[in-house]
Amino acid sequence: MPPALRRHAGALAVFGAAAVVPLVSRDNYFLDSVVLILLWGALSAAWNVAGGYAGQVSIGHASFFGIGAYAAALAGTRFNASPWLGMLVGVAISLAAGLVIGYLSNRLKGPYFALATIAFSQVLLIAASRWRGFTSGSEGIPVPFRPGFWTLGLGHVAWLYMALAVCLLYYAVGVYLERSRVGYQLAGVREDEDAAEALGIATRRLKVGAIALSAALTSMCGTLWAQYVGFVDAFYVFSVDLSVRFALNTIIGGTGTALGPFLGSILITSLETYLRAAFAGATSGYTGIYLIIYGVVLILVVRFAPEGLTGIAARLRGRWARA
Amino acid sequence: MDPARTLGPAQIDVVAQLAASTVLLGGIYALIAVGLTLIFGIMRVVNFAHGEFLMLGMYLAFWAFTIFSLDPYLVLFVSIPLFFLVGTGIYVLVMRGVINASHNVQIFTTVGLSTALQNVALVAWTGDFRFVRPWHSSVIIRSGGAAFNLSQVVAFAIALALTFCLFAFMKWTHTGRVMRATAQDRDAATLMGIDTDRIYRLTFAIGIACVGSAGVLISPLYQVYPTAGLQFVLLSYVVVVLGGLGDMVGAMIGSLIVAGVEVIGSYFFGTAWKEIFYFVLFIGVLVFRPAGLFGQRGAETLGV
Repeated sequence: MPPALRRHAGALAVFGAAAVVPLVSRDNYFLDSVVLILLWGALSAAWNVAGGYAGQVSIGHASFFGIGAYAAALAGTRFNASPWLGMLVGVAISLAAGLVIGYLSNRLKGPYFALATIAFSQVLLIAASRWRGFTSGSEGIPVPFRPGFWTLGLGHVAWLYMALAVCLLYYAVGVYLERSRVGYQLAGVREDEDAAEALGIATRRLKVGAIALSAALTSMCGTLWAQYVGFVDAFYVFSVDLSVRFALNTIIGGTGTALGPFLGSILITSLETYLRAAFAGATSGYTGIYLIIYGVVLILVVRFAPEGLTGIAARLRGRWARA
Repeated sequence: MDPARTLGPAQIDVVAQLAASTVLLGGIYALIAVGLTLIFGIMRVVNFAHGEFLMLGMYLAFWAFTIFSLDPYLVLFVSIPLFFLVGTGIYVLVMRGVINASHNVQIFTTVGLSTALQNVALVAWTGDFRFVRPWHSSVIIRSGGAAFNLSQVVAFAIALALTFCLFAFMKWTHTGRVMRATAQDRDAATLMGIDTDRIYRLTFAIGIACVGSAGVLISPLYQVYPTAGLQFVLLSYVVVVLGGLGDMVGAMIGSLIVAGVEVIGSYFFGTAWKEIFYFVLFIGVLVFRPAGLFGQRGAETLGV
């Protein structure tokens, strides 16, 4: 195998498997779970740009997700515009918000940065749920299904390939950040900011740039998610749980790796889909049980396997190569 | 909720009412925040699951009231030792392993704990809003142009008493002094023969006992539901950052500021938007004075 191929063998397997799914099965339930795995994977990959490569651990990334979701839903319902236009507006707003947050919170580290990002998502949550006249407040916005590419009213197979295209784009961003000059500079900032600065790396600009890029990518997927699922609820799209979910997928898969977020999403999203089916009859939500597991998994993974699945795989491969 | 609105301006002196509400609310916020700042100050861990222990305290009061008709103030005698034990258990099971780990590991450990506890409550007791309504929650006291609810006054008095006990403990007992020494310099404390693991266990247990009891105290005043802790914990982050993370006196002053912002904000703009004010205040403080209003400069860039 040529080295380039070997390096991306995991990605080839994951994305290749997703690409052949529609050829094997046309079961909508199955297709739906694959689309969700891809969308959550892409969202986690977006979080990874700031949280993984730049080491700016945010627990408020739901802010950008919500901005994207609301921008497209409002574009459709209030202005009768295409969700694609809404996506552009959402990305522009998120990019700006990411720049401002990155710039303002530049000095903050560790828990302080996490607290600042939570506060930002809570401000947006309150604004979206109380500003009745514009956002419909806590009732949320149903996104009408209008068939066609321009209105993002697509079938399951089309959605799958669209989500896959987004995943490939985000994976490419991840690979770039792993292997480019900028990527190595970011790693320097993440590991030792003072040392990086002493070497002449523009640490501040890099961190702000990473946060803004991460915000824009998150927002784009937020739009897609809202159009796919068909409902925008302020208490969900801006929730802390959602922000934790992006981080959880990434940590399980491997923080700061291009493939990690997707591997984490396969595991966590499948678990959710399975539990949803298993507890479909139960009156009090399956979400509770699912979230208990995900909280416990988070505690266990950061404690016992902080390098994630990709890290474990690399360790096993190293042992195998030596033997 | 706000007596000034129901009784009309004729019987109420607005300034006196706002001042009294601020102080009463501030006392309760102080008890919630003091545990958070204690844990941070000594263990250098921001406990993102703090609000969930408040929620569990509220549920304890609810069940004790519903099943045994126990008054929340009597439940305090159970809740303090109970939450002390819970805190010890959580420390041994979850926190001990990450006490020397990186910030990110600590953040996600407590975030995971928060998610798990919230949803244990959701699965066990459903998402319904529940109420604790003992007799004293409907008694109104009028004094000096202001009116308040008896539960609020008692909760304030007990919160103040508990916070004072904690201060006295930290200031005058040997264990308190050892805890402060550990906060100042972990390595030096270890070299002096202090068992830091024991100190952390004690710190976490005391912090959880404070917040759990605060949950019991506020149960007659607020609705009880699985995510009830979230609004209070967000607010106590504001309090604690305002006062300087780890600074107990700062937390008291921070509580009064946040309570004042909330009371005055809801008087002028309505209760719907009250959280906006303290979040904006929070972001402002994080951006311009992240070490707190009276904290040392530079603490935030060290990430401590």
